[in-house]
Amino acid sequence: MVSLTTFSPLLAAGGIHAPEIPALGWISNSILVAVIVTLAMLAFTRMATKRMALIPGPKQNFVEYLIEFLYGQVEGIVGKHVAPKAFPLLATIFIFILASNWFGLLPGVGTIGFGVTNAPFVLESLETPLLRPATADLNMTLALALVFMLVWCWLSVSELGVWGTLVHIFGPKGGLRGALKYMLMPIFMFVGVIEVISIVFRPMSLSLRLLGNIFAGETLLHTMGHLGEQVGLPSWMATISAVVFPLPFYFMEILVGALQATVFSLLCAVYIKLATSHEEH
Amino acid sequence: MEGILQTFGLDWPKFISQVIIVLIVYVILSKYAFGPVIAMLEARRKRIAEGEANLKTIETELGKAEEKVRGMLDQANLDAERLIAEARESAEAVRGQKTQEAVKEAQSIIEKAREASRLEHESAMNELRRDFGRLVIDATSKVTGKVLDDGDQKRINEETAGQVAL
Repeated sequence: MVSLTTFSPLLAAGGIHAPEIPALGWISNSILVAVIVTLAMLAFTRMATKRMALIPGPKQNFVEYLIEFLYGQVEGIVGKHVAPKAFPLLATIFIFILASNWFGLLPGVGTIGFGVTNAPFVLESLETPLLRPATADLNMTLALALVFMLVWCWLSVSELGVWGTLVHIFGPKGGLRGALKYMLMPIFMFVGVIEVISIVFRPMSLSLRLLGNIFAGETLLHTMGHLGEQVGLPSWMATISAVVFPLPFYFMEILVGALQATVFSLLCAVYIKLATSHEEH
Repeated sequence: MEGILQTFGLDWPKFISQVIIVLIVYVILSKYAFGPVIAMLEARRKRIAEGEANLKTIETELGKAEEKVRGMLDQANLDAERLIAEARESAEAVRGQKTQEAVKEAQSIIEKAREASRLEHESAMNELRRDFGRLVIDATSKVTGKVLDDGDQKRINEETAGQVAL
């Protein structure tokens, strides 16, 4: 008898904390995936750009297409002047998040690992997955946001200078002059304080948004994979349902992975644009 | 905030290691992917721009060359027409000159022929007179049986010549 009242969502294996891999000391499964993704990206970019030619091969062509497309997008947001400085960071963020998000959809990620065994290579319950999407760990998403904020600070100061940046945040806006400018100064100072608070919270919002979406996706796939067992389906039906139920959500997670990479990098681009805009001075 | 971060799994050593990984990815992609690819795209863009500029130059040069060829052809046509006209005028002049010369030549030949004919006619007439005078003398001497002296013969000759001239 199937009973939906017995159903409760399952967190992705390991929970919100990325667990350490028993055999690798303090290295967590998300750090391992970050390293794997980094090495894969390094290998691919070296293969694609080692012997660059004016008439490109397939790999070079793909990398050129991707970079040209991303550069066009970044240039469209931050402008021609700032784009050369901002592009490497924004493209790195986008490509790394996208690769990490989609890596989490590979078979074995979150399902192979360490736990209670009842036979060789068969787990009764998985406690520590070997692999976990790097972006499903706050340490990585916060690291991405922190690196972005550091580069954002450098870009802001290099474009406007320290005084220019302070004026940009606290100064009067809208080209005000004369007495009105001085009358409204306290309001602009107050708005500047609010702006500073929003800047301080940007790493949090960026990192928690990405973590929440990717971890929720992992949890969703995990829950759908075990839904048959949870609702008490017969063993053979539970096995089939473990394949069928998550399938539509895999497609959705492909979309979510791309969407979250886009959202994160797009917001970063907008923040850079807001901080380096000269039009108000 | 610290509590929230701890709840969501923040672990400072792991966080720092992730920061280092992100920085490594940033440096690697900047150095080995974005830099070379953007440089290549820029090189290709310049090459295409140069090609376009060269194409425009070639088109301009081709236009100038065509214009020049057209000018040369027009000049050659004008020269040819002028030469033909000059040749035609020259031929007309030569033909007129040659015609006049031929007419003069023909007139000269006719004159000469007429002169020759007249002289031959006179010569023939003189010979005829002489023969006729001789015949008259012979006939007269035979009819008369008289030997005619020089005076007679001269007189008969003159009379005969006078008759023949009539």
